[in-house]
Amino acid sequence: MTAAGRPLSTEALSQLTTEPGPWLSCDDCFRLVDRYVEALLTGGADASAGDLAALPAHLSGCAACAEEATTLLLLAAGDEGVDPADALRRLTAG
Amino acid sequence: MTEVSPDQTASRRAGTPSPDEDWIAELTSDGPVRDDALRRLHALLLRGARFQVSRMSALRAMVGAAQVEDVVTLAADEAMVAVLGKLSTFEGRSRFTTWAYKFAVLQAAVELRRQAWSRREVPLDAAPLLIEPRPSPDQYAEGAEMATAVRNAIDRVLTPHQRRIALALIVDEVPIDVLAERLGTNRNALYKTLHDARGRLRAHLALEGYLTPAPGETR
Repeated sequence: MTAAGRPLSTEALSQLTTEPGPWLSCDDCFRLVDRYVEALLTGGADASAGDLAALPAHLSGCAACAEEATTLLLLAAGDEGVDPADALRRLTAG
Repeated sequence: MTEVSPDQTASRRAGTPSPDEDWIAELTSDGPVRDDALRRLHALLLRGARFQVSRMSALRAMVGAAQVEDVVTLAADEAMVAVLGKLSTFEGRSRFTTWAYKFAVLQAAVELRRQAWSRREVPLDAAPLLIEPRPSPDQYAEGAEMATAVRNAIDRVLTPHQRRIALALIVDEVPIDVLAERLGTNRNALYKTLHDARGRLRAHLALEGYLTPAPGETR
């Protein structure tokens, strides 16, 4: 990057000011993410309940965890022969 | 002791082991049964690692085909060690295959990000932010005003550490694992810094009237 500075894109603006939600560490996200993607794929209300409730905000705010969770969801959907489209939409939206 | 879910308990009562119970039983047995289970587990982890890498096209291009295959193999091998080491913690609250995949996915993603950035400098200076032009005059005015407010908030309400981390992760798009490695810290600590920085920025912008706090969010 040059001394002239960095561009502040619309996307960066949005990511800087996204609502952080309840605190959940990346380690806890990893511990819970397999249950979360399966709950999303079965369309159950379980995906937004109990200890999974903080996952959507974490995945909205952590690009690395979101990238990995998306892959896991697609792998699980493929193994089960399930269309992942709806679950993908809900991955970061809760 | 491996915990079992209600589904597993029901299948055990019916006398038919679930596929998850098969995995655990076979991986903890001896001889050819275990060897076969280990072979199938490694194949599953290779599939998970390869799929993760296939989705990271920009980083894959930076690394090169031969090195990508090394990343996949290394990730599957490391995931194998992790899965076998944590087998007793599998609670049966997801399918065994989904639980196992996540180790391969994590290892592959972290390793590819690391390889792709291995020769790149991580910008950690505090260069001033610029405002990117918008396509229409109305959008430009509105967007530019918000961007100015955010830039001012970054300078005024974030600590130097929060500013450095937030800008590196979001504006410069340095992968969180790479930044953690360069700074000698970990993903949790960096995400906590970003989480707190966002809270500070939002509280300040709400006070200035630029955004409405979410329900339960303090001003």
